[in-house]
Amino acid sequence: MSETATFRPVTRWVLGQQARTTLFWALALAALSAMYIAFWPAIESSDLESFVENLPEDLSVALGYDRIGTAAGYLSSSVFGLLIPALLMVHAVMKGAALVAGEEELGTLELELTAPVPRHEVLRGRLLSLWTATGLIAAAVTLVSMGMVAALDIDVAMGNVAATGLGLGLLGIAVGSCTLAAGAATGRKAVALAVGAGIAAGSFMLNAIGPTVDAGWMTAISPFSWYIGDDPLLNGPDVIGFTLLVGLAVVAAVAGEQRFRSRDLLV
Amino acid sequence: MTDDLVVHTRGLVKDYRSVRALDGVDLDVQRGEVFGFLGPNGAGKSTTIRILLDLLRPTAGTVRVLGTAPAEGGATLRSRIGYLPGELVTEGRRTAGDLLAHLAALRGGRGTERIGPLAERFGLDLSRTIRGLSKGNKQKVGVVQAFMHDPDLLVLDEPTSGLDPLLQREFLDLVLEARDRGATVLMSSHVMSEVEHVAGRVAIIRAGRIVDIDDVAVLRRRAGQEVTLTFDGPVDLAPFAAVEGVERARLDDTTLRCLLHGPPDALLRAATAHRVVGWSAKDRELEDLFIDHYRLPATASEEVTADV
Repeated sequence: MSETATFRPVTRWVLGQQARTTLFWALALAALSAMYIAFWPAIESSDLESFVENLPEDLSVALGYDRIGTAAGYLSSSVFGLLIPALLMVHAVMKGAALVAGEEELGTLELELTAPVPRHEVLRGRLLSLWTATGLIAAAVTLVSMGMVAALDIDVAMGNVAATGLGLGLLGIAVGSCTLAAGAATGRKAVALAVGAGIAAGSFMLNAIGPTVDAGWMTAISPFSWYIGDDPLLNGPDVIGFTLLVGLAVVAAVAGEQRFRSRDLLV
Repeated sequence: MTDDLVVHTRGLVKDYRSVRALDGVDLDVQRGEVFGFLGPNGAGKSTTIRILLDLLRPTAGTVRVLGTAPAEGGATLRSRIGYLPGELVTEGRRTAGDLLAHLAALRGGRGTERIGPLAERFGLDLSRTIRGLSKGNKQKVGVVQAFMHDPDLLVLDEPTSGLDPLLQREFLDLVLEARDRGATVLMSSHVMSEVEHVAGRVAIIRAGRIVDIDDVAVLRRRAGQEVTLTFDGPVDLAPFAAVEGVERARLDDTTLRCLLHGPPDALLRAATAHRVVGWSAKDRELEDLFIDHYRLPATASEEVTADV
């Protein structure tokens, strides 16, 4: 008689282990978003646009300041275009690297991998917990942003805030999945961190530089552009971009799993 | 035939990049026996064990655990195995009880009801956070999770390290109880004393090869005796060194010390040529035999194999 398990207890355990840190990240990022949005009324009434006009054009485009005078532009460049996605990616890369490669190097994965759970279920369970945590943090940011937009009566469509929040979560999930998959494929946390940080920083830079040098390929291959390049706060969900983010997450996960199933573990 | 072999390996080879960790391991563990797996650190014990648990895939050779290859048996095979890691690493704010409940959940809930009684037996406080557990308490967690589901095969890597002597005895009782209900036990160690009281047979691994495999009783006989003979005057070493079964004879003025295998008759006859004023014969510890194997240089062991 055999008793085996699937990914569910793995996900439940990891989420329990991570509950406090996830909550901390969710609260911190939500508070930051609220703070930035709270500045909007003051910025709207100030003469910021003339300040931006005096900046070199490339710089203001790169920073997303060229549209800072509009509510959607301000939310894009302050909350959703820079600090929050950067921090969310930091979280995703750290967790993605720790959850498989990190715990494998540490040895804490040993009991799970020698338990009657198939390898790919262990991997899926841990990936799912990363997706869940990332989704929760993005949801906290989104809900607080929507609340602030409503409270301050800011001129941005509520549905577009929700859509941008969805894209934010998908960006975190895509970057986190690539990181976790690199760790699953190699068993090395340093490799996972390098891959994750490389994708996060690289995609951010391509998104920033692409428009200034008029290189369409840069934004075409940048996950960061898939998320915000089409200005979802103004235009609503970017179906193609968001689909690409989901696709990247899934392709990375499948590739990582392929290697994880066949390689030596805990070497 | 293989039905009675719970662990069966032939010519098992494992390379890590350029390093050969296992160099043709042949190992048979029979159903219902307690099998000691001895060797110094780095000899290949953990590598072998990790192949049995499908953490590592062999470079060459065959391996069967409970009749199936670990890579094919997968999770279903592991549901019949209880594994105690050499060093249990735990992290986090959850309690020992939470961790054990989680590990039972990974077995579809099997063993949950035995967590309490086993923890009590080993004096493990289930409400402690796993992050701050001492080495001994981690080992107790390891013991509980390895035994809780009454597995058909127990794979125990350096099991008593970290347990105090009283709990070591409790642990060995647990091993014997498992054997009595029909389980097979593979127990690794780098010290003979850890396994000699419970193991029926012992294999010694060195540099990735099994260098000896036998009943503990036979090994004990083979370990021989340390013999000391004191004479009333100086004697010649050569006639003693030539006696069959005598090894490492050395003379310290009037005292002869040697290692004796087999019956003492010939040695005693040689001694009666002189006047013997004192004598002692002490059974060697199995540990010493074991250390002999360690000392054996790798080239010598290969020559021996080549001679055979």
